[in-house]
Amino acid sequence: MITVSKLSKTFKSQGGDVAAVKNVSFTVEDGEFASIIGRSGSGKSTLLGLLGALDSPTDGSIVVGEKDITKLHDHALIDYRCRKIGFVFQNYNLIPNLTALENVMLPMEFAGVPKSERRPRAFELLEQVGLDEEQARRKPTRLSGGQQQRVSIARALANNPSLILADEPTGNLDSQTGEMIFDLLHSLARSENTTIIAVTHDLEIAGKTDRTFMLQDGVMTKKR
Amino acid sequence: MNGYTRGVKNAFRNKVRTVSIILILGLSTGLALSMLAANQAVTSKIEAVKGSVGNTVSISPAGARGFEGGGDPLTADDIAKVSKLANVVSVNKTLSDRVTSDNSNLQSAVDAGSLGRRFAGNNGQGFQAPAKLRERGDGGSSSQITRTFTPPVTIIGTNTPSKLATSEGSSSSTLTLTSGKLFDGTSTENVATVGKSLAEKNNLSVGSTFTLYGKDVTVVGIFDTGTSFSNNQVIMPIAALQTLSSQTDQYTSVTLTVNSIENVATVTTAAKSALGDSADVTNGSEQAESTVAPLKNIQTISTYSLIAAVGAGAVIMLLTMIMIVRERRREIGVLKAIGASNAKIATQFAAESITFTLLATIIGFIVAAIAAQPLVTALASSSSSSTNMGGPMRGMRGGFRALENVQNISATLDWSIILYGLGVAILIAIVGSLLTSFFIAKVRPAEVMRTE
Repeated sequence: MITVSKLSKTFKSQGGDVAAVKNVSFTVEDGEFASIIGRSGSGKSTLLGLLGALDSPTDGSIVVGEKDITKLHDHALIDYRCRKIGFVFQNYNLIPNLTALENVMLPMEFAGVPKSERRPRAFELLEQVGLDEEQARRKPTRLSGGQQQRVSIARALANNPSLILADEPTGNLDSQTGEMIFDLLHSLARSENTTIIAVTHDLEIAGKTDRTFMLQDGVMTKKR
Repeated sequence: MNGYTRGVKNAFRNKVRTVSIILILGLSTGLALSMLAANQAVTSKIEAVKGSVGNTVSISPAGARGFEGGGDPLTADDIAKVSKLANVVSVNKTLSDRVTSDNSNLQSAVDAGSLGRRFAGNNGQGFQAPAKLRERGDGGSSSQITRTFTPPVTIIGTNTPSKLATSEGSSSSTLTLTSGKLFDGTSTENVATVGKSLAEKNNLSVGSTFTLYGKDVTVVGIFDTGTSFSNNQVIMPIAALQTLSSQTDQYTSVTLTVNSIENVATVTTAAKSALGDSADVTNGSEQAESTVAPLKNIQTISTYSLIAAVGAGAVIMLLTMIMIVRERRREIGVLKAIGASNAKIATQFAAESITFTLLATIIGFIVAAIAAQPLVTALASSSSSSTNMGGPMRGMRGGFRALENVQNISATLDWSIILYGLGVAILIAIVGSLLTSFFIAKVRPAEVMRTE
């Protein structure tokens, strides 16, 4: 279970302090698929970054399982990102000179998975998201947007994370492909009992998730 | 694939840029290695020149050098003073004398020739008009005189025959015994080793005798130096020559052997102080300093060029890596987001940096192999020009020797230079990687996500 309590994040800028996230509190159960919706600049991505320990909050706590990740030291945070979190980005963010297979193997290398186990596991994950062996050996530039996002999802699943954070995962895809990617994430949440929190603009997609949170100017205004 | 192989692979992500970086870095490395080769060659040459000069101090009577000049000979008292000086390990005493038919039955093996007659005339030494002119009583003008001068024979008395240079002061020829033996330097017996030409001219062999100042001197050895001048000389115990020539306790030169080349200057100063105005004290190192001056110029230029080339290489590498890190900020952020530590990312970039530098080093070796000698020759040529412009005196013997030294420098790429090259490459890569690590550590993944 993820419990977010009174979470705030303020950035310092030349024009003064800017509060991107203000006193946000919510809970997501294990295996739930939750979505965060809101306009651009509402603080969705900042909130996602805080949940993924990419940034530290100004105030509040994020308890994942039994650990408050806001109180973890650098090494523990790296370990948290490596083993507990999987990221799916809007722009896929695959490493361009590595093949799809190598991209999926990357988090396993960081987690210390033995070399002999990485390759079969990566093939298995790519197969799971619908890519064949030939496609697995292609570099990202030779894959379509939907295929790249599938690789990105496979990479996010590499270390069996308990939480997948997806930042506009369908934002760069056409509606049909976006729906396929969403369905894929949904089925994974069910089959792997993985908690998924996705930021999206798409109200239709958000409507299909287990829970939806709305952010407006950094404040959580609505929960479903 | 791990961080190292990923780093190597990343080095070739942008092939045009990689080739450019490697070429520029390779030229810089090549220049550095060429300068290192030049530096080593020059350093070796300087050591050789200094080594050839040796650790000796020469003392001669003030105003006299060989058979030229004037002044009074050195005395036993002078010898005693310099023998006591600190760091002096041995004293080679020499008395040089010249004999003619007036005091020896030896006949010179060298014909006077026009040079000998001119030297004799310049020296004011006697030469006789032919008998017919003398009988007429007119003597004739000097232009009418047929000069019949015969060069004298040089006799060298020494206490260290084994160390003796066969011609006092100037000759560096090596004495080789062709028959017989050398005498004991402390002997007072009338014995001598005779130069090959002189022995042949006077039908001398080991065991035969010749007359010197009315006494018989026994030949114990015949030597060959390979030069006509030195082979026309006699070497004998200094004590015996002093007695025969009535020059007891007189010396025409002394050579002090110093325990270390580092102490030569100190002993020179001490000897000058001990002997005052009565002697001229010199050492080879002073001449060596002027001889190696152009070499030191090249050494200095090559050292600064080496530092500049290594510095340029390091700067090129740093700028390249900074550019690459800035270009891949988002990628670094992604790697951090999926669980990479700063150390793992830095390792990957270090591998990339090392790949650049090692490839550049290979190019550098090729450049150095081609350019080292031409660069050294150009430096030597430049240095030679400046030596020639150093004034009229420098154009003389020392200048020629200096020119000879700078023109004979051979720069070669040996294993030590290759190892130095690899060391410098790794050093540059480490410097590049350290700063890169700093920038990598500063990249915050959340910031990268926001700027997408």
